Amino acid sequence: MNITVLSVLLLIFSLYSIGERVVRFIRKEQGQSVFKLIAIIFIWGGISYVALFKLGSENNLNIFIFIGFVVVFFILFRLINILEKNERLLTEIIRKQALKDLK
Amino acid sequence: MKLANNHVLILLPVFNESKVIFSVIKSIKKEGWKNILVVDDGSTDNTYNEAKKSGVIILKHITNRGKGAAVKTGLEAAKKLGSEIVVTLDSDGQHNPKDIKKMVGQIKRGCDVVLGIRDFKKRHIPRYKVFVNYLGNILTWMFYGLWVKDSQSGFRAYNKKAVRLIQTNNDRYEFESEIVREIVRNNLKWTEKIIDVRYSDYDQNKKNKQSLSSAIKTIIKLALFG
Repeated sequence: MNITVLSVLLLIFSLYSIGERVVRFIRKEQGQSVFKLIAIIFIWGGISYVALFKLGSENNLNIFIFIGFVVVFFILFRLINILEKNERLLTEIIRKQALKDLK
Repeated sequence: MKLANNHVLILLPVFNESKVIFSVIKSIKKEGWKNILVVDDGSTDNTYNEAKKSGVIILKHITNRGKGAAVKTGLEAAKKLGSEIVVTLDSDGQHNPKDIKKMVGQIKRGCDVVLGIRDFKKRHIPRYKVFVNYLGNILTWMFYGLWVKDSQSGFRAYNKKAVRLIQTNNDRYEFESEIVREIVRNNLKWTEKIIDVRYSDYDQNKKNKQSLSSAIKTIIKLALFG
């Protein structure tokens, strides 16, 4: 195990992400599923594992690539979420427009 | 706008079905159901006018948003119209309006949601549909923890309580599985009822049926967004 500032930061961030999902799942919030929870635990658990056991302070290139991978994954997930949100917003506007005909 | 006295609303989400929508509505009326709501999901053909000719309530999405979005618009309309029971059917004529009666009967016996299930032992149902549906059932069970025999059937009935409680996000075919999630989440009383399906050449050859690529997209969306 190689404990560095970076690995501790990644571990904290991963635990926060997993914990937040577990709470949302327990609260039965909308959009939460067993599969999604397992996927999140698997992804952030994997990141924690690599950060703690596979990254050495001497291997700068590996650290750089790894952080790049985490950042790209995070941005991609956020972008998909934003796109989905916009799609739903558009549907909601179209629905409101359609329901006006009911009067 | 007011409903006729039995307060059962038949909801038809429709997209580019100008060739059959008039006859589908006529066959529902023939069974004695007067309250029919058509949600035209941005059709680019003559569907809207064909439906309007039959004198039903009709709402229109200005652009295509998917079957799930159209059904949700219909359920919102049902709340405003004060309907006690809502029955959803596919608008391509594959469902038999004679089955509406037994779906409504189950709701009157105390169920919140009735899921229509196709009898897959019947040989006229295309084998790929049987396979895709079985896959859908497994995934629905994995995601939501409830085993249903036909997770992708569009023939369903809901009582007022279910219409009020069900909250869905997905606009496309994921909607059908989302209903299963909502049954679990809201602890709704549900049952399944075997329904008759008729697959015609028209149904098999139309362009807007669910393709393999849209089925894969459905799976990914369910996995990522529940």
